[in-house]
Amino acid sequence: MSKTSEASTGCGGLCGGKCRSTLADGVSKNNPIIHQVLGVCSALAVTGKLENALVMGAALIFVSALSNLFVSLLRTLMPRRIRMIVEVAIIATFVIVFDQFLKAFYWDMSKQLGPYVGLIITNCIVMGRAEAFALQNPPLLSIVDGVANGLGYALILALIAVVRELLGSGSLLGFQLLSASWYEPNILMVLAPGAFFTAGILIWIINALRGSAKEEKRP
Amino acid sequence: MLVKNTMHTLVFAAVLGVVCSVLLVTASLFTDPYRRANQQADQVRNYLAALEVPLPEAAGSAELIDVFNRTIRRVEKGGLECFEYRPTADGGPQAVAVAFSGPGVWGPIEGVMALEPDMLTIRGVRFFRQEETPGLGGEIASAAFLNRFKGKQIVGQDGTPGFRVRKSGGGADEPNAVDGITGATMTSDRVQDMLDTLAKRIRKE
Repeated sequence: MSKTSEASTGCGGLCGGKCRSTLADGVSKNNPIIHQVLGVCSALAVTGKLENALVMGAALIFVSALSNLFVSLLRTLMPRRIRMIVEVAIIATFVIVFDQFLKAFYWDMSKQLGPYVGLIITNCIVMGRAEAFALQNPPLLSIVDGVANGLGYALILALIAVVRELLGSGSLLGFQLLSASWYEPNILMVLAPGAFFTAGILIWIINALRGSAKEEKRP
Repeated sequence: MLVKNTMHTLVFAAVLGVVCSVLLVTASLFTDPYRRANQQADQVRNYLAALEVPLPEAAGSAELIDVFNRTIRRVEKGGLECFEYRPTADGGPQAVAVAFSGPGVWGPIEGVMALEPDMLTIRGVRFFRQEETPGLGGEIASAAFLNRFKGKQIVGQDGTPGFRVRKSGGGADEPNAVDGITGATMTSDRVQDMLDTLAKRIRKE
């Protein structure tokens, strides 16, 4: 598969082979949290409740798709010397726009997420995708890559949040599922250590499953 | 060649800066009225909650501000800003709220204390701004902690004004003391200072 010819034809038909593989890469094969272990800080911080994790995931999809698009559009024009500053400026702009939108229309959610929306600016996933992908690839494919990595991030966040909210508060999305009469919520799960345990075990399980498949392929 | 490169860099940076600024200013201007209303409603909600004003379920921002404007009257008493709850236009106040603030462990703490008309008994306490350690000092905003204040007094058994947040060794059954939060000594101490000062100020008035 020659990269250049694929890239020059762009993303012709959004489901071209390259797009699908890019999407699969971000979501599963090269998942930013599980495989690249990026963006873990916020993954630990906002996963006490599923609702928070979903909003955070949406924020990351929005930011990484749009910043990838603009970095890719500007990639030939951008002076190499200041490319990182340019990337951060673009990312910061979208993050602040999203933050203001939350503050205006989802005030309670914005209060719960606190500084973590703003901290997406320094989220390694967004910057990493701009550097590693958008600078070398055409705009449409870059959007797909941004969405894919955002989705991959959101998926893991949601997984961790499901475990933590269910065990920690006995509820999901605020609905009480485990009745308080027989289930004593484990406070540890909503506190920070619960996030470390859940994320660690999750990464371990997935890597163990994947590792056994990979090992066989290696010479 | 070098000059040309530098020019390109400068022009690019300037144009990008302008475009990003315009985007941000637009977003800020567009959301500003909504953010303001939310912030105001947040404060109002805490006052109303401390005063135990009956509120409709899931009241929106505008509704809260409306209730606040209709039933709460602001009065100055000896340099103390009081918010009186008067549900009917001609009746006396049913409760009085006074705001307090002070340094917390990580950032400022701001809150409001509501008293019964006797100006001795606490009706409710709310913290509407705090950045204490989540899970420890942050528990001051939890219902479990706030409920401890209900019915307490701002004077001791012998009538001297003051308030205590107890750490250990009991004493929380005194009329002017509540049980503190385990593991949050610093926050408890600071909250105690704030409420103690407030109690003395209220009694002086």
